Parts: sequence; structure tokens; C-alpha cells
Amino acid sequence: MKNAVRTVDGLRRITIMQGETKVSDDPEAVLTTVLGSCISACLFDPVVKVGGLNHFLLAEPGSNDTDVSSLQRYGVYAMEVLINAMLAMGATRTNLKARIYGGASLRDGFRDIGATNALFARRFLRDERIALVGEDVGGYGARRVEFRPTLGLARCRVANVRPVEQLRVAPVPVPVAAVGDVEFF
Amino acid sequence: MPSTIMTVDDSPSMRMLLRAALTDLGYDVLEAEDGVQALERLDGVEPDLLITDINMPRLDGFGLIEKVREQDRHRNLPILVLTTESSDEKKQRARSAGATGWIVKPFHPEKLAAAIRRVLH
Repeated sequence: MKNAVRTVDGLRRITIMQGETKVSDDPEAVLTTVLGSCISACLFDPVVKVGGLNHFLLAEPGSNDTDVSSLQRYGVYAMEVLINAMLAMGATRTNLKARIYGGASLRDGFRDIGATNALFARRFLRDERIALVGEDVGGYGARRVEFRPTLGLARCRVANVRPVEQLRVAPVPVPVAAVGDVEFF
Repeated sequence: MPSTIMTVDDSPSMRMLLRAALTDLGYDVLEAEDGVQALERLDGVEPDLLITDINMPRLDGFGLIEKVREQDRHRNLPILVLTTESSDEKKQRARSAGATGWIVKPFHPEKLAAAIRRVLH
């Protein structure tokens, strides 16, 4: 599998980059990501033992748009991709438990996009009535998150490396030209 | 009188975003949270346009479109699919079921507005 490395503890670490989403029911998988001002939501369904993680920054691809509702549209999209992937693996919306990580303030002179990201994630989960069972957001340091998708357990540590994040670049897993375009039948 | 648009999506956040965008454009908005509720609501109202998600519990977007097209009174109701999905296979399924068009999320308000104007006239 892409990005997967089997290590001495027998677990398979899968690195999630910005803009990516990964859902797994593999008991030996560890989903890992490094966050600065980005947000990761870890979702877990304890009944079917499926978990997933995304990694996103509130922004639309290739735009300089900082309008609040367009930022929300991208965040809602990123969360929906994760939720749909969970449901496709047998999870049920009402069983979902969430943890959120990231949203640090890493840049001087920019508006605090990290705090905006964290606020968005909390509000989204509240609106969707998904239980938020843990979080480590805000502050000034980068974080490394390791998530066991079948156990719903996450470990979040201060990372020594600076995360590779670019402001307002949020890759989407479909061609950019297709996003928001309308195809008539 | 403003046109009425029914939005069908299981995500409250997405319904709120759509309501904000469509209200800004001057449309009246009705909402349903899945295909089953949309069919119930369609019993009593005749919206000018239906915008539906695909992945939903109970009755998904494909099922909803098929059921709507079975009803004579909604045979000409324009239906736009608004989804995170972009596979040709799923687009083809929606097309066969009777959808009017397909929009990939995240939606862009101006593109959505142009698509709506096109199907409402």
C-alpha cells in the first residue's frame, strides 16, 4: 500500500499528507500525520471498529478567497469525504466519535488560520451531532498524530519537525477543473 | 414569486451552506435530510428544482431520483446532483435515473447560480 511502512512493532504506519483522507479496518494500521495550522479529524466507529483520519486546511484550491463561507465550504467538503469513506466501510453516522488535532499558530503576520481551523472543526462536529471525545488544538507547536483506526486511540505529540504546509494550498482528490463545475446530461 | 428549491443532504452543515447560498440568490429553500424525507415532503409541495446529495442513509440520491421520476407530477422537475463523487460510473447511474446535471463538491456559489438559472429557464 502507498505510504505504508512496516516497522519493528509489527504495525503498518500510513502517512497522511495535507488534502488526503484514509480510512482503515486493519488492526495493524497506524494512520499518522504531522500538523501545523492544519486540522486532522480522527473518526471512529466503535461498533464496526473502523477509523479514519483526514488532514485539511480551510481553503479552496488555487484561490485567494478568504471569505468565511467559502472556507466553510472547503472544510465541510473535507469532512464529508472522510465521513462518506467511513460509511462506505460500514460505519454508522450516529456511532461516530471524533478527535481533532492541529490548528496551531505557526506564522507571524498572518491572520490566525490555525484558530479558524480549530473553530470550524468544533462547530462542524456540533452541527453534525458527532461526539467530540478528545482534542489537542491551538498553541504554537507542530504536532505528530498517530491514530489506531480499529481501536479509536490517538497519540498526539509535539513534533520536532516543521510540517510542510503551504497557506491556501489544499489539494483535492479530484481534478481542480472539475470542482464546482456543472455537467449537464 | 421567487422560485423554490428543495435541497436533500444528510449533513446539517451542508444544508446550512446551501441555504445561505440559495437564500442570497433570492430563492426560497425547502430541506430534507435523506431520500425518504424528500419524497414525503414532495407529496405536498412542487419545488422548481431539486438539488440532491448521493450518499445518504435510508434512500440515497439514485433511489430518490428514480422514485421522483416515477411520479407524473414531478416528471419535469429539474434535478441537480451535488456530491463529492466524480466517477463516470456514478454519473452514468444518475443520468439513467433521470438526473438533469451533476455538480462536484465543494460547490462554487457563482457556478451553482449559473447552473440553477440554466435549468429554471
